[in-house]
Amino acid sequence: MPAVQETIDQVRQIDVDQYKYGFETTIEMEKAPKGLSEEIIRFISAKKSEPEWMLEWRLEAYRRWLTLEEPTWARVDYPKIDFNDLYYYAAPKNQSGPKSIDEVDPEILKTYEKLGIPLREQEILAGVQTSKIAVDAVFDSVSVVTTFKEELKKAGVIFMSISEAIREYPELVKKYLGSVVPTTDNFYATLNSAVFTDGSFVFVPKGVRCPMELSTYFRINEKNTGQFERTLIIAEEGAYVSYLEGCTAPQRDENQLHAAVVELVAMDDAEIKYSTVQNWYPGDKEGKGGIYNFVTKRGDCRGKNSKISWTQVETGSAITWKYPSCILRGDGSRGEFYSIAVSNGHQQIDSGTKMIHLGKNTSSRIISKGIAAGVSQNTYRGQVSTHRKAENARNFTQCDSLLIGDRCGAHTVPYIEAKNSSAQFEHEATTSKISEDQLFYCLQRGIPEEAAIALIVNGFVKEVIQELPMEFAVEAQKLISISLEGSVG
Amino acid sequence: MNIQAGIKLTAAEAALVESYNEQVGELPGDGNTLVARDTLLSDLKTAGLPTRRVEAWHYTDLKSLLKTVPAFLRGASAQRVEPIVPGSTVLSVVNGKAHTRVLPEGITAKSYADALLDGSAADGLVARDADDVIGRINGSFVRDGLIVEVAEGAAFEAPIEIQSVQNCGQVNTRFPVRFGAGAKATVIERHLAIGEDAALVTSVTDMRLADDAEVTWIIFQSEGDADTHLAQFKAELGANAKLRLYVINGGGKLVRQEIHIAVAGEGSDLTLRGINLLGGESHTDVTFTVDHNVPHTTSTEVIRNVVFDRARGVFQGQIRVAQDAQKTDAKMSCNTLLLSDDAEFSAKPELEIFADDVQCGHGATVIDIDHTQLFYLMARGVPENKARAMLVNAFVAEIVEELDDETLVEALEGVISDWLEKYA
Repeated sequence: MPAVQETIDQVRQIDVDQYKYGFETTIEMEKAPKGLSEEIIRFISAKKSEPEWMLEWRLEAYRRWLTLEEPTWARVDYPKIDFNDLYYYAAPKNQSGPKSIDEVDPEILKTYEKLGIPLREQEILAGVQTSKIAVDAVFDSVSVVTTFKEELKKAGVIFMSISEAIREYPELVKKYLGSVVPTTDNFYATLNSAVFTDGSFVFVPKGVRCPMELSTYFRINEKNTGQFERTLIIAEEGAYVSYLEGCTAPQRDENQLHAAVVELVAMDDAEIKYSTVQNWYPGDKEGKGGIYNFVTKRGDCRGKNSKISWTQVETGSAITWKYPSCILRGDGSRGEFYSIAVSNGHQQIDSGTKMIHLGKNTSSRIISKGIAAGVSQNTYRGQVSTHRKAENARNFTQCDSLLIGDRCGAHTVPYIEAKNSSAQFEHEATTSKISEDQLFYCLQRGIPEEAAIALIVNGFVKEVIQELPMEFAVEAQKLISISLEGSVG
Repeated sequence: MNIQAGIKLTAAEAALVESYNEQVGELPGDGNTLVARDTLLSDLKTAGLPTRRVEAWHYTDLKSLLKTVPAFLRGASAQRVEPIVPGSTVLSVVNGKAHTRVLPEGITAKSYADALLDGSAADGLVARDADDVIGRINGSFVRDGLIVEVAEGAAFEAPIEIQSVQNCGQVNTRFPVRFGAGAKATVIERHLAIGEDAALVTSVTDMRLADDAEVTWIIFQSEGDADTHLAQFKAELGANAKLRLYVINGGGKLVRQEIHIAVAGEGSDLTLRGINLLGGESHTDVTFTVDHNVPHTTSTEVIRNVVFDRARGVFQGQIRVAQDAQKTDAKMSCNTLLLSDDAEFSAKPELEIFADDVQCGHGATVIDIDHTQLFYLMARGVPENKARAMLVNAFVAEIVEELDDETLVEALEGVISDWLEKYA
């Protein structure tokens, strides 16, 4: 398809330098001293006025972490991280916890305004913003504000930063924290357990359908800081919640670390829908800078007929190491994973999911679409397994990769493990470039090539996009076109 | 025996080292051959047998699965058996000792032991990579095998059966095989046990297909219920060469069959068909890699597995497409029938693609027998067990029927039916 040469050239030209959230906010910050030690953990815990058990929990994780080695099995390549050369805590001065919007530093408000995140409830209600979404805004290590808290409280939904929740609902946090991703889980999850600074906490009580979309917006601003967020979402019997996270960071030459842990718990008949639009700074076109995104996300379908659905649009980060998973423990539970992973420039993505079938009559569905351009490497790595007693487990997996240019790589590594004869697993994967037949068909009908490619790529990812909450589907579509600008228009 | 400080060997690892020390004086070859053997054994000792942590051995933890190593038995005596296809030209290796004989024009077979003795085989005694434990064990212990050469343009009426038969002990063989340009042949590589006692069999087949050669190669493994079978099949395809490779596993307690193919000449084509008939306590692992290194090559792989009893099956397949290998067309599928609640099957079909103008895909399914099909047959008065047997048979026999040679199809169908009668 020689005509695409033009497209490829344009992708190269524009490349990842299109990142439009790369600005920096100048604001006075308070930081913990550089490095990692028990002292630093005590410092973080004290900053957050945490109870004693929380500190112990962190220290135990830290001691465990010291004995662990960094995993090397993923298809990503990066220089060794010096974990003692990072700041583990950085917060805007005089901003120890979320307050009312009026007390938030105007510089921070401006930052979110620039990012297009609605933080002013009045404006949203007055129709300046069209959709009504509750937002928890996390700036480096702290949550600066959480909107619509009161309104949600009336419905019985708890939505606040996790630091606040540890203080206000210690029993709930204690009961669920680490119950899905234990502190011993893996290198990065253990590190996160020791030093996590903020994140969101959501509790939807029995029978409640959360009245609005919840979302958290993560922003890394400070230099040399690692962001370690921890999110915990619990949906009690029959509850429903849809949650979205977004992420951006300034454009810098140094790499920055982001190691998050997200835990979801769904009880009987509950449903959690978790969507991510990940747009961390991906580095420049020489591959300099960018975020290292090492994330552990796991959902536990603890109750009967519960459902957890992960949707992710991954366009940012220099390196992504992320496998949102579902443990299908409850009988009749269902897990879903929809992913679009776009890599360009020197980005490296190793992402996928795990569906662990433990209960009877469980089902799961995996749709993964990888698009690789530039000199990027894009890997899908996923596992589907049934326990010996998990009768009638069903899985359908489809992972497709699209390659744009001949310097990039697309890889598929599925692990399929069946231990029960009633299991029914289907897996299919394809890798191709844009079909000449499809392109010819469009061109022949007078659609210009750029538009035709855009059409085909959009068709390619449609199955995933339509799983996103409506408000974000549009944004996600825009993001994909930015990442591939020049090739999809 | 010197066990280095700090390295703790498992019983099987220690037994391998001990067995080597005991046999080394009588293994054919000295000089470079011996140096190569020593190096391989020393690497084996340092690295140990692979565990799950070694990605290539993810589902076959050899360190814990290989519990004992039978001693090399000097007096072991097996007899050659009738070939699968009547009228085949038979080349036999009995308890690891090759027997050469007069062959039809266009094909020669020499003893591999002679090549070990004169040092010409020494260069081949190397491991493929850091995880190649089969190459290490086989290279250290290999005593014999056959060097087969097929002349340019040669063609044969009847299949050639290379038969490696054993009754117990250790059998370590190698088969370097060369097909000249345009040669055409059907070869059956058969590994079988007669007798109940445990054996450790390792075998390495190293094949080259010159340009335009067309070869159908059938590996049929039917070792005994107590046997360990570690085999490696490597092939490199020249321009426009065609390799049709059938791998049928129907025996063995612990089986690892590696297949590594380099589709290295433009226009070359690989067809891989695998049938794994697993029953009893068998653990059978088929690990396959294909490298598409040049433009315009094709490969298709279809693997069918039926798993009964407490058997465990593994298929790892990896299609790699190099950056220059534009216009590659590669398709892989792996279908499994799990027929017992204690049976297990794990599949890892991988794609590793560095070129953009390609069509690559893989599919994998794990299912039980289709109940509507079963119902259909039973509604017509076929008893359930018979109906099941028919469906299982059809599931695997379908693959065999793709072969054009009718006597060959018939022979292989017979092999499958015999197996199903025994286990299903």
